[in-house]
Amino acid sequence: MDKRRAYRQVLWVFLALAILTGIEYVISQVFPSAALLFLVAFVKAALIVNYFMHIYRLWREESH
Amino acid sequence: MAAVTTPEAETHEAHHDHELPYAERVRNNRLGLWLFCFSEIFLFVAFLAARFYLWRDADGTVIRPELNQLLGLATTSVLLISSGFMAWAEAAMAAGDRKTFSRALIMTFLLGLAFLIGVVGLEWRGEVAPGDGAFGAIFFGMTGIHALHVVSGLLLIAFVWFNRNRYTAEEHWGVEATAIYWHYVDVVWVFFYPALYLIGEAVHIG
Repeated sequence: MDKRRAYRQVLWVFLALAILTGIEYVISQVFPSAALLFLVAFVKAALIVNYFMHIYRLWREESH
Repeated sequence: MAAVTTPEAETHEAHHDHELPYAERVRNNRLGLWLFCFSEIFLFVAFLAARFYLWRDADGTVIRPELNQLLGLATTSVLLISSGFMAWAEAAMAAGDRKTFSRALIMTFLLGLAFLIGVVGLEWRGEVAPGDGAFGAIFFGMTGIHALHVVSGLLLIAFVWFNRNRYTAEEHWGVEATAIYWHYVDVVWVFFYPALYLIGEAVHIG
């Protein structure tokens, strides 16, 4: 992946995480639901595990 | 003149012949690190289970102590931003952009430190005290074990920064491992934040 594309991806994922954190806070204030809050948490975790931790590299040939 | 090979040199050569290629070593290291992360899930899930089992009132309603909501949101945001900088640092190293790597890593460290100050320095002096029964045990247990992981991550980041000239765009497992660990610490907080601050009815302690 070229530098610009990689940086853009980091930015988009970060923005998604920030928006989801905001949504999480609003949910807790407006209609507090543990299931809904954990659902948002799972989506956030999935984004981090896939785009920041690159879990797919476990199944891919790669040098670094 | 023919080259003379000593037994020591032959042993040394044989040792290098059996050395795994870098890509394979990274693959093994990566698997090891992910297994470590996986094993730690049990610890954090146990804390979450204890939180939902013990933080209940007489009717069985899920409750939580009245924590500083603004501080909780601020520390969560700070850790999230630090995770973003860590991802940026790793992408920069993979692209050979050393200046961006160095700057992003410093930002990650500083934000990690800010998170630690927010939780340990401020929140620990707030509503809940260690002697507050189940509230104190769970709150200090969860934030304490997480803070310990943040400290480990900060030490790793500092180590990587001081050794930054050893890494290249092609070979930087140290950077990747530190990034995986730092993001893992963030993932744990992604679940701890709603469990501690958002879920359940807020009750005043003391």
